[in-house]
Amino acid sequence: MDSFYKSLNPEQSAQAFRNEYDFDSPSSIDFDILVERLRDLKQGRKAEIPVYSFEKHQRVEKTTTIYSCHVLILEGIFALYDPRVLELLDMKIFVDTDVDVCLARRLARDIKYRGRDIHGAIKQWSTFVKPNFELYVEPQKKNADIMVPRGIENSIAIDMIVKHIQRALLSKSDEHIKTLQALGQGYDADEPLPANVKVLKDTPQLRAMHTILHDEETTREDFVFYFDRLATLLVERGSDHLAFKPKEVVTPQGITYAGLELSKDVSAVVILRSGGTLEVGLRRVVPDARIGRLLIQSNARTGEPELHYLNLPSSLSKDSVLVLDPQVATGAGALMAVTVLKDHGVEEERIVFVTYLASLGGLRRLTKVFPKLKIIVGKIQEEFERRWIDERYFGS
Amino acid sequence: MSTVPEAPAAPIGPKYKEEEEKPQATVSKPIKHSNVHILPQTPQLIALLTMIRDKSTVRGDFIFYSNRIIRLLVEEGLNHLPVISSSVTTPIGHTYSGVQFEGKICGVSIMRAGEAMEQGLRDCCRSVRIGKILIQRDEETSKPRLFYDKLPEDIAQRYCLLLDPMFATGGSATMAVEVLISRGVPEERILFLNLIASPEGIRSFAERFPKLRIVTAFVDQGLDEKNYIIPGLGDFGDRFYCI
Repeated sequence: MDSFYKSLNPEQSAQAFRNEYDFDSPSSIDFDILVERLRDLKQGRKAEIPVYSFEKHQRVEKTTTIYSCHVLILEGIFALYDPRVLELLDMKIFVDTDVDVCLARRLARDIKYRGRDIHGAIKQWSTFVKPNFELYVEPQKKNADIMVPRGIENSIAIDMIVKHIQRALLSKSDEHIKTLQALGQGYDADEPLPANVKVLKDTPQLRAMHTILHDEETTREDFVFYFDRLATLLVERGSDHLAFKPKEVVTPQGITYAGLELSKDVSAVVILRSGGTLEVGLRRVVPDARIGRLLIQSNARTGEPELHYLNLPSSLSKDSVLVLDPQVATGAGALMAVTVLKDHGVEEERIVFVTYLASLGGLRRLTKVFPKLKIIVGKIQEEFERRWIDERYFGS
Repeated sequence: MSTVPEAPAAPIGPKYKEEEEKPQATVSKPIKHSNVHILPQTPQLIALLTMIRDKSTVRGDFIFYSNRIIRLLVEEGLNHLPVISSSVTTPIGHTYSGVQFEGKICGVSIMRAGEAMEQGLRDCCRSVRIGKILIQRDEETSKPRLFYDKLPEDIAQRYCLLLDPMFATGGSATMAVEVLISRGVPEERILFLNLIASPEGIRSFAERFPKLRIVTAFVDQGLDEKNYIIPGLGDFGDRFYCI
């Protein structure tokens, strides 16, 4: 919660440097921003957490980004103070420690890390910290679900808390998987896919390429060549679904031609590791696309997809975005990827999902959840198939 | 400036979009002959053509964007080649009943502009054999004349992808086809790949060689008094190799 201290005005700042500013009163905390960020995080959105400089007593320019956390711990002396915050917390813990230990720790911290001297630190303690503890902090005990006396030494209490959190996570991931399974059920097998799912035209060349790529006896050299060739076609087809606007040009013959041009820059997001197989195709078509990366993996224990790594270009929310992943099986990873992009401000209709093999069930799920998403598919599979393209392409 | 024949315009975009959401652009003239295949007029193709038509496009971009169209032409052209059934086992143990390529192919480029299309062909067929034909206008008779050719020896057994980016009156293309036929290549095994064609040229070519197949990206408005395609893109060879 230290991140949410209010920036001080010049007068307050001078007080702070004289150790006369009261940091231990709830009025020093920017609860409005805190509540807003907590709400964003609880809804699964990205949140920018302010960074507070204790040397300058100001909020600094840069922020810390928090996104997609499984467990969020809000720590601070006023964590259980504001009723709006209390409403958002799933578990409220009050950790109590002997007052002597508090003072000792505080002195060590303020002198070592916050650039204060011993007199200043003691002055703060007696003027603000202790009286405020009695006035504001202690009463928060009645808001807590659990009280932990003796802090870190209390291993039994800590163990109980950890077990409770593990149980909560497990039931959340069970629910997630059930929701995923429920999506895409109850469809008529013959019901056509919506028009925004575009399957490459089934031509003799394409069928011959499918055959080479599916043949276990194909050498890796051939596999890579034909996969790159097919990836190029997929990205070319995907480009047809980007945003265009009219553009008039004059030819060397001096005559005007009424043509088109892209109306937005193109970014791409590669879903690792498999998505890397489509990058050669991407570069042949859009060599200067800005490329972001997501690492999504299924948890081996629960089967739930998890986001492990994320690095996205800052321009993403303004661009047309191609998402690359060569295989869609259950669609869980794809659903997560599109959700992540939407959480980062990309409109659904600006996303084109490019894939080689997609299962019918996976596609139904994707289109049900994201009806405006465009999907380019090389070939539709009747059944779920485990990922194998990246193994063949990368040879590992 | 001479009068420019009318150009067809249409809203361009995928089917799921409302007509009024699609941007308007000039599209290829339709050609009725069944042996002429015009690439689907997608927004992306029109945008690529817009880039290479623009006289202010620099050479690096011209090469890049024309290569992309050429690759699409080659992919479409290859679809006209025969395949035979073939069943394979997949890495995860399933049987996949597919097809495999049948018959040998070769590329034949009409120098010099046609050679610019060789890279696109090689992007799709790695080790394809390539022959060359040099045809130039005879200054005395002002008719095309064959100056040079070098073709694979077994060309009569191969499907020929004949490469020439601009098709105006079709004088050199016609002569090139005649050369191939004289080497024993059956007309039905010749595929002519072309970026921009004139409507009058392509119609008479398609009628003259009814069994030959033509794949083009765009049929333009017409020819000017100097027999240049308009609006066209200027001299393809110059823009690709020199300017």
